[in-house]
Amino acid sequence: MSPSRYRSFLLRRYRSFAGYLGVLLCIIGLITLCPAGLVLLYPAEMGIGHRFLWPGLLLASTGWLLWKCFRPSPDTVLSIAEGSIIVVFAWCSAILAGAVPFRLSGMDWTRALFEATSGWTTTGLSVVDIEKASPLILFHRSLMQLAGGAGLAVLMLSSMAGPPGVGLSAAEGREEQLVPHVRHSARMVLTLYGLYAFLGTAALKIAGMEWFDAVNHAFSAISTGGFSTHTESIAFWDSPGIEAVLIVLMMLGSINFLTAYTLSRGYGQPVMRNGEIRTATVVLGVSMLVLFFGVTGLAYHDTSRGIRTAVFQAVAALSTTGFAIVDFPAWNALGWLVIITLMLIGGGAGSTAGGIKQHRLYLLFRLLRRQVMVALLPRYSVSEESVWVGKHRLFLGEHDLWRPTAYIGLYLLGWLAGGCALAALGLPLADSLFEFASALGTVGLSTGLTSAASPEGQLWIQIAGMILGRLEFFVLFWGLAKFLRDLPALVGL
Amino acid sequence: MSGSGFLGNIVIVGCGRLGSSLANRLSQAGSRVVIIDRSRSSFSLLEPGFSGFRVTGDAAERNVLVEASIQEADCLIAATEKDTLNLMVAQVARHVFSVPKVLARVYDPKRETVFLDAGIEIVSPTRLMVDTFLAAVRARQESA
Repeated sequence: MSPSRYRSFLLRRYRSFAGYLGVLLCIIGLITLCPAGLVLLYPAEMGIGHRFLWPGLLLASTGWLLWKCFRPSPDTVLSIAEGSIIVVFAWCSAILAGAVPFRLSGMDWTRALFEATSGWTTTGLSVVDIEKASPLILFHRSLMQLAGGAGLAVLMLSSMAGPPGVGLSAAEGREEQLVPHVRHSARMVLTLYGLYAFLGTAALKIAGMEWFDAVNHAFSAISTGGFSTHTESIAFWDSPGIEAVLIVLMMLGSINFLTAYTLSRGYGQPVMRNGEIRTATVVLGVSMLVLFFGVTGLAYHDTSRGIRTAVFQAVAALSTTGFAIVDFPAWNALGWLVIITLMLIGGGAGSTAGGIKQHRLYLLFRLLRRQVMVALLPRYSVSEESVWVGKHRLFLGEHDLWRPTAYIGLYLLGWLAGGCALAALGLPLADSLFEFASALGTVGLSTGLTSAASPEGQLWIQIAGMILGRLEFFVLFWGLAKFLRDLPALVGL
Repeated sequence: MSGSGFLGNIVIVGCGRLGSSLANRLSQAGSRVVIIDRSRSSFSLLEPGFSGFRVTGDAAERNVLVEASIQEADCLIAATEKDTLNLMVAQVARHVFSVPKVLARVYDPKRETVFLDAGIEIVSPTRLMVDTFLAAVRARQESA
């Protein structure tokens, strides 16, 4: 293809990206706008409603303009690299727009961007003084988590548009579909997610929260985000009922939507065979026992409190939610180690959780077992590993088994690099590794290192960690690599 | 291409040129498509815009059809190269799983009655071609 024809081809492609990006920005803008509506319930907060109005309106109108100017033809199909470009740009805009209300409330840009990143990536590390913050700001934080957890904007676009949704959903980490059409599948995930949030709110209210707290905590639990409306997080209530409801919500949030859908359709057996469910059961069981006998059972003389904290913190860490009912500095090294491990493993694929993801760990285990078994088999035997996904049995090639290993390697290297970078800033090594595992896994548990007083360098390293972790490294790499490669041709060099 | 798609669950057996084209068009138009083929490499004929499910297996086996959720299917299209296999799959779909609409491709005109007796709608490429050729020949005679 001649350079000029290649250029016009690229321009045509990028025009359609701009169109789709426009729709996403429009949705994100409307989400940013939402907290302003809360002034109807809190008339005293009238003065700060405009802090959400401006960024929301600006983003929504930019998006609407992009859509009007570059409306793509309905049968444009996006590849995963092309979907990644759109997703990366949408995430950057969402974080910027989400930061504006914090900036207008008097925080500096670094802290505002940190809080917005923590919100959209469903991390839950916070540098906001929660006790002084307006209810609008608190709701804004929870809403960002709800929207960021399921990749709401992309989900809504997929549920409206058909074909382009395939590449986009895959770039957003949702390549497994519930039903054999991307549009129906996206609609079902939306319904399921909405149902979780609705039932969660009701359950938390019944368990003893105020309506406002119930809504916020349901949002941040189901998205495995972990923002709270109180500085003490869940310890504020000190109620086993509320903790039990939250445990269920966090579990639901960290289970693959496909698995939940399969279970809701009454297929129990494939779910029991599901690798992620098995991994989660074993990991949770073992870590709860270790936490109880090694840490909480010793730290608290009250046995029931020991069990409660062990169970709650294990779930909060593995589901990458990051609610806390304890002070981690009071725990011994074993407790920290268990929590770090759980944060690194993370939740299920295709859920709202972060981390390495349980299915990769399960595949690593299967690969290792295969390496041993192959040596015992006859020389010419043919065998294939299989896993259960939804209600289907999937056979795996050698490639499918090795790919997770590469990701796990990259993830651990990234964690080590980020942890060392924090330590290089002069922070204690153990705290650094804990805090960066928390950022990279989009968890939000903290040893107390992350606060409004944290140095800027530390916050920027954590921002990078949260984004890399949420977009699973490769989406960011694909999006940036494709964009940078096309850029010279696009500007006509 | 949008709007007037057949909105429902469709199972297509055989991912050759016919099966894959049907699957691509139906999926883009909004149907829920599950496509079955014996070899995984056949699925490379599907376009990136296809968002249905792929099931690898022999459609003559009951388990494979069940895995393709045939119980929930509103329509089955038997589009493999073999008339005999198409007949068998279509019969199983029609009479064992009571799929409301079952279509099959039949090459050999002699076999058509077998399909019709079994309550299966057919599309015969041979007959279609014969009709088209004859129409072309007649049009030439009339104009001459």
